[in-house]
Amino acid sequence: MLWIKNGIVVDPKNKINAEKMDIFVKNGKIVAESDVKKEDCKIIDASGKLVVAGGVDMHAHIAGSKINTGRTMRPEEMRVVRNIAGKFRATLGRVLLTAPAIGYEYAKMGYTTSFEAAQPPIGALHTHEELDSIPMIDKGALPVFGNWHLVFKCIEEKNLEKLKALVAWAIERTKGFGVKVVNPGGVEAWMYGGNVKSLDDQVPGFNVTPREIITWLIRANEELGLPHSVHLHCNNLGVPGNYQTTIESIKLANGFRNPKRQVLHVTHVQFNAYAGSSWRDAASGAAEIAKVVNSMDNVTIDMGAAIFGHATAMTGDAPFQFSLHKLIGARWSNKDTEVETGAGIVPIGYLPSNPVHSLQWAIGLELGLLVDSNKVVLTTDYPNGGPFTEYPYVMAMLMSKKMREGELKKVHQYVQKTTTLPSIDTEKTLYEVIHMTRSLPAKVLGLENKGHLGVGADADIAIYNLNPLETDFSNEFEKVYKSFKTAEYTIKGGEIITKNGELVKEVFGKTFWVDARKKVDLEVIMPDIKEYFNYYSVQLGNYGVEERWLKNPSRLEVV
Amino acid sequence: MQDIICTFCGSVCDDGEYDLEKRKVKKFCKLGSSKFAEKERIKAPMIDGKEVSYEEAIEKAVEILVNAKKPLLYGWASTANEAIRVGVILAEKLGGVYDQCASVCHAPGTLAMIEEGLPGATLGSVKNRADVVIFWGSNPMEAHPRHGTRYSISAKGLLVKDRKQRKIIVVDVRPTKTAKIADMFVQIKPGYDYAIISALRAIISGNADVVPNEVGGVPKEKLVELAEIMKKAKYGAIFYGLGVTQSRGRDRNIENAIKLVQLLNRTTRWVIWPMRGHYNVVGAGEVPAWEVGYQYAIDFSRGYARFSPAEFSAVEVLLRKDCDAALIVASDPVAHFPKMAVKHLKQIPVIQIDPFPNMTTLIAKVVIPSAVYGIEAEGTVYRMDCVPLRVKKILETNYWTDEKILEEILKRVEKLRG
Amino acid sequence: MLIIKPKKEFEVCIEAELTPELAMKSVEEVRKFKVYYGNRVVELGELFEVVKEGEDKKLVLDGDFGRVKWIGTRMVDGEIVVKGNVGANCGAFMRGGRIVVEGNADDWLGIEMAGGEIIVKGNARNLVGCAYYGNAVGMTGGKIVIEGNAGNYIGEKMNGGEIVIKGNAGDFVGTEMRAGVIEIHGSCGFVGGDMRGGEIRIKGNFDLLPTFRKTEKGWVGDVNVKGEGVIKTF
Repeated sequence: MLWIKNGIVVDPKNKINAEKMDIFVKNGKIVAESDVKKEDCKIIDASGKLVVAGGVDMHAHIAGSKINTGRTMRPEEMRVVRNIAGKFRATLGRVLLTAPAIGYEYAKMGYTTSFEAAQPPIGALHTHEELDSIPMIDKGALPVFGNWHLVFKCIEEKNLEKLKALVAWAIERTKGFGVKVVNPGGVEAWMYGGNVKSLDDQVPGFNVTPREIITWLIRANEELGLPHSVHLHCNNLGVPGNYQTTIESIKLANGFRNPKRQVLHVTHVQFNAYAGSSWRDAASGAAEIAKVVNSMDNVTIDMGAAIFGHATAMTGDAPFQFSLHKLIGARWSNKDTEVETGAGIVPIGYLPSNPVHSLQWAIGLELGLLVDSNKVVLTTDYPNGGPFTEYPYVMAMLMSKKMREGELKKVHQYVQKTTTLPSIDTEKTLYEVIHMTRSLPAKVLGLENKGHLGVGADADIAIYNLNPLETDFSNEFEKVYKSFKTAEYTIKGGEIITKNGELVKEVFGKTFWVDARKKVDLEVIMPDIKEYFNYYSVQLGNYGVEERWLKNPSRLEVV
Repeated sequence: MQDIICTFCGSVCDDGEYDLEKRKVKKFCKLGSSKFAEKERIKAPMIDGKEVSYEEAIEKAVEILVNAKKPLLYGWASTANEAIRVGVILAEKLGGVYDQCASVCHAPGTLAMIEEGLPGATLGSVKNRADVVIFWGSNPMEAHPRHGTRYSISAKGLLVKDRKQRKIIVVDVRPTKTAKIADMFVQIKPGYDYAIISALRAIISGNADVVPNEVGGVPKEKLVELAEIMKKAKYGAIFYGLGVTQSRGRDRNIENAIKLVQLLNRTTRWVIWPMRGHYNVVGAGEVPAWEVGYQYAIDFSRGYARFSPAEFSAVEVLLRKDCDAALIVASDPVAHFPKMAVKHLKQIPVIQIDPFPNMTTLIAKVVIPSAVYGIEAEGTVYRMDCVPLRVKKILETNYWTDEKILEEILKRVEKLRG
Repeated sequence: MLIIKPKKEFEVCIEAELTPELAMKSVEEVRKFKVYYGNRVVELGELFEVVKEGEDKKLVLDGDFGRVKWIGTRMVDGEIVVKGNVGANCGAFMRGGRIVVEGNADDWLGIEMAGGEIIVKGNARNLVGCAYYGNAVGMTGGKIVIEGNAGNYIGEKMNGGEIVIKGNAGDFVGTEMRAGVIEIHGSCGFVGGDMRGGEIRIKGNFDLLPTFRKTEKGWVGDVNVKGEGVIKTF
């Protein structure tokens, strides 16, 4: 039992805005004061300190084949030593990290949940092996659907029941959490050396378009009532002028409604928010996108902010990764995956002296500032935009115009004319930023017991050495940044796991997966699946992940 | 039992059928079937040739490992990920060296990947799309017997329906069994793969005029012909083997081939992939990569992983006499390593964990027999293209699994080391 | 000047980042210098005899240091003389000063050398003056002279400096080189793969790659990277 005394709580889900409050924990859950025996409680004196829910990272690349390929390709990344083996594991990594490092670094920062954003279905077991090796945090994975032949076939036949059954079957087989769509149709086009350029391009070999892929999957997702919405990585990522595709894609949510959450989450929008026609005249399309997102009440986005320094581009957007390799001449790995998807990995970096990188950096921040705080989640699309350990940098920047002014002086002046960042006066409040990093991502994912400190929530708590009532967030940005980098206490499931950046206890979290099989009749799709398995290289009987193979599975049944 | 997964070569065929009555497996090739046949086993744990209990053998192993200044933990390619993970953590805890079989086979591919990346695909992608398949320094008809029918030669795919719609090319130093069934065989002078690949890159990028009339024993016209075929392919695949990784050029051969594939991808689609030998050599590299950052040749002396194949590959460690104890798991270095390396291995205390006796058993101070993954124990393995498969437990056994043995060793080591 | 002598035969390799800076310390301090003996952190004095003679910034490593790695790492000035063989990673990331190895050197000599001089009277092994795993640039300055033979991978990704090998070398001399000079007095194998600039001079035989154009300057290439590197005989 835990009693966090006198902390200043910010809990947007429960509308608590910097109130002095006690938090009580029992059996890994947050409970009411009447449910604990105060004499038996371990007491944490949180006087004058900020108490919030543990952070929720709803889009990061933390586990699976492409992450491991990134590590293998980049020994120069792995050579940075973070922790020497002793009571805890040794951890290594600069921006790319080993699995133990991922868990420890999230924990030190006060983050307690992270989701692998793109899981190749046939490689699901590998993703889960890596997730199981990440300590401290709770996790989940999102299998990709946007280039899966089986998905194309259901849409070609205009058969929603088949598509629903397929989605339910696939999420169960991959022990995944939701429907991720990456460059729909484009990765299949890459198998022929091409890509798709518009929502209405025909996918080679199939009678479907990206527009149809996205809308049909939203329909299936919503009828199944999955906790999370369709999670979309738009077409034309990284292409100047692509903000229009993004807006068109966002508008596909029109007509859909879900009382609990958004019906479409568009991810790492920074990479899809470019105006202009080439890298010579590229500019920001963030303001236009923000306008559209703000006008809709059923779409959310996440920033995909770029952080100056090293990074690694790794996505399922195989054609984009190849064009990046050509553009910057960097190393390139690729993995065409059965009839399901693809992936690409290219080492990159962001330099403040580079006009394009500065533009990307500015756009990420524009999105965070211009989009309503109940519609934009803070991410860097780790490791594509940069390390997740720099989320505090983004947090501090969102809350301080002065900090932004200082940073703007250090970056390439190209951003002055091509983005609105210099003229944005908005300083988001702490309440908003906590929402963007805790309660909103939990809501977007559909995790009811995460991201807040109400009774019944999982006891994932972060305490920061920061008094929100006495801090001038506009001016004390250095202090704000430092405070959020290292939690004074991180508590996971009611246990103290880190203190002042030091590891206290190693725990292993849960892997959430969604079981929607009761909502469908699997027999509707099984004959198609059985037939299409002629084109796989494994037996249907050997495809998929059994729950008992996972260390700590947590099944969310959809009824 | 259906859908049995083979645990012999990197093809990891998963369409086997096990007859529980006859205790035989069907559908697998000779190599795979031999794995499932009854074989001589190490009967019981031993110390200095005397039978002891598992606990005693483990205690002795722990004593040897903890007292060593630099224990070498080697093998790993023929066991499951669950065991490998414990092995990696154990090596870290002991401050020893972790190395796996790839260091004498396909490590050059990893080094090449560090230099250039790896533009690849899963075997299903090749089966469905590849209209041109090149086997370079690789002879699947002998080393990976069912690779061709399942994935690369006569496999029936979505876009490439059968053998007739595929062009098979073999590049090798002598006519192999695979060359005999290929549509084109390019015989090259041993040791000239690197030069030939450079020539192909030059021809394809429009610099054919610089290329001399003969490169590495191959006439220029033949190279031009090969280049044309590669350019015209809709989706090509290069599978390479020990012919290029363990002959002159090694990692630079692969690096050059990767650059060739990068070039080809500008106008068409090509992928390249190694023909991995052991059924879970990929796991033996992937597991340490996510746990500690690297795939092989890892030293933990300083309490964290350091990667240096020139120093920490098992053979290099032994040649420099840079280890004073060894734990060999699912491998036979005495049979395969150079004489000078084996000489040092014989001078240090060796602990072996393996289901089957081999030459290393003869020099091991402590021998711990284990269950066979895929027959007596369930576990996760990665096929040559990194597709994960879960091998099954078919028969009961009293043998402990590698995972359990290593966990018991780790537990005791943690207790001693804190 | 410090004279350092092995006390015994080592059971495993030692990692000792000894540099001439050490000669500026007292003998007691030097004896306490931490080295790695396998996974044990040990004081230098436990494994080596240490004697100080005068104030020169010089180390004399007297004996077989063939299993002592990382000698001269990051040194900036002063001198190291090894009266015997030296272990791997000798002169790693060196910026100045001089190392003389009277015996043979092991792998990874002069990793990413930026300045100074390394002279090996005997043979070197593989990886002379190269970029470390995953790094983009190799040697940028300084001079490495091997009186005997060397192995494979010489001056890869070189961007400055000079390497002279009086005997033979193996394959992959000057791969991906951008600037600098490599001189081989004997014969070697594959030379200048994906070379962009710099010069390689060879006296004996070598395997010319099919991607170099013959000009008056010598062979220019590598055409695969539109390189303007020069290979010539002398």
